[in-house]
Amino acid sequence: MQVYLPIAEMSLDAFLLVGIGFGVGWLSGLFGVGGGFLLTPALLLLGIPAPVAVASGANQVLGASTSGMIAQSRRGNVDWVMGGVLVAGGLLGSVIGIQLFAFLRGAGLVDAVVSIFYVVVLGSVGSLMVMESARAILRRRAQAPARLHQHFWMHGLPFKIRFRKSRLFISVIPPLLVGAGIGLLSAIMGVGGGFMLVPAMIYLLGIPTAVVIGTSLFQVVCVTSAVTIMSAWQLGSVDIVLTLLLLVGGVSGAQFGAQMGGRLRGEETRALLGLLVLSVAALLLYGLIDTPERLFNMGPG
Amino acid sequence: MRWLWVLLLLAAPGWLSALAPPARAQPEEPLVTRLSLDRVEVSTTFDGASILVYGSTAQPIGPGGAEILIVTRGPEQSFTVRRKVRVLGLWFNGPSARFLDIPAFYSVAGTLPAWRLLPEALRGAFSLGLDMLPMESTGARAPQFRAALLELKQQTGMWQEDAAPVEIDANRLFSSRLPLPATIPAGEYRVQVLLVQSRRVVARQEMTFLVERVGTAATIADVARYQPLLYGVICVLLAALAGWLGSVVFRRG
Repeated sequence: MQVYLPIAEMSLDAFLLVGIGFGVGWLSGLFGVGGGFLLTPALLLLGIPAPVAVASGANQVLGASTSGMIAQSRRGNVDWVMGGVLVAGGLLGSVIGIQLFAFLRGAGLVDAVVSIFYVVVLGSVGSLMVMESARAILRRRAQAPARLHQHFWMHGLPFKIRFRKSRLFISVIPPLLVGAGIGLLSAIMGVGGGFMLVPAMIYLLGIPTAVVIGTSLFQVVCVTSAVTIMSAWQLGSVDIVLTLLLLVGGVSGAQFGAQMGGRLRGEETRALLGLLVLSVAALLLYGLIDTPERLFNMGPG
Repeated sequence: MRWLWVLLLLAAPGWLSALAPPARAQPEEPLVTRLSLDRVEVSTTFDGASILVYGSTAQPIGPGGAEILIVTRGPEQSFTVRRKVRVLGLWFNGPSARFLDIPAFYSVAGTLPAWRLLPEALRGAFSLGLDMLPMESTGARAPQFRAALLELKQQTGMWQEDAAPVEIDANRLFSSRLPLPATIPAGEYRVQVLLVQSRRVVARQEMTFLVERVGTAATIADVARYQPLLYGVICVLLAALAGWLGSVVFRRG
């Protein structure tokens, strides 16, 4: 059934979109990630204009993360102070991201730059994941003594505040910067950024794993909301029909994926996720270096 | 198709006399034209449409007689054509040319191609033929940009030149199907029908039809364009609600 997407200004098969949402939702449930980094490239491959794919992708991630955040906050797994600092940074980053996006669109460079961001970010994150999980699988027996977190230069920074829930007394500068970086990526890549935020929160900020998921979901929901509103306002690129079709598939797929995900071991899951991330990066890199079939393209404006 | 003509032929005396009022002394209209639709509604499930342009002539048309040309123009828009260039092994959009106020939709069809029927000056005056469209551009000057625009526009079905011939029946009736692609922009479309004889335009008729966005899609596009901030907030709320509802439904199920 063909459905007209009013903002993308094109017709696509509704079942195909629900199916893509389901597939991405299934994978994200399986791996416990938001799935924005799979969804936006899939939309780009369908021929949806990059600004619409990015903004609607961010909007979909918002929907997909909402129920998780509510569940986590009910269980008291959200550090609101840490979340607030991350969100403040995220808002700053996403404002910068949207301005950059608007500039790139004027110059006709959106498609290429979005792809480059994906290749660089997913390429490095994917490699790290694969290497780290391979090492973990190899050393499974030799368990290292657990430590709360290590102290290094970061802990000498000023503006320290106490994050009770995270049992931390650190400067607000690192979480602000982490939040801003994720906000920038969210605006340009249409992702929630959980796949980078979670490792940064654990390894860089030293937040206990119990509150990491809830707090990162809180940041993702707030920042993707901001990206959605700013994209709609400044770029006019959010397609709610597209978002809702993807959500229908995504939410159901995530439930199935989460059931299966329980049966996988942590290291294997991370290795698989790393390989998936790397293949998306490779696919987009191929799109950048492959000689295009036609050298000219046309757009309104 | 044939049955349609039989119907039209049977009905012809009726509607021709209705058009030419009882005053018998008046000369017969040289050219009578109609459109099968005067409104095309673009709804959420719109997948393209087509309009039948038809009519009749007082004098014989077709081989040996006069000829018919039909030209349709949609609303004007500006388009940017970009050329990809290779930088450090990666392909980027490079130089661009901006074409100002060119028709978003254009179609020309005839019983014969326009260039065989009319001298160039007249073709220019009526914009008959893709080569006669005024294409003012800013930016890159190379002729390839114009050629690329022509090619891309034709590929999307937005510009058509002799895509399908105008059919003639019984030397008096003509008809042509005008296909409108799914991505047709809203606005007013002008259809001009010319009766051509001996390299001159002897009669012409102009008609218009409207392409309108209707239903949910139109409402969404309007809110998004005219109240973007409100639209953004609605998108946030709808997505959050859908995500929350969905998780409740599927967890139970």
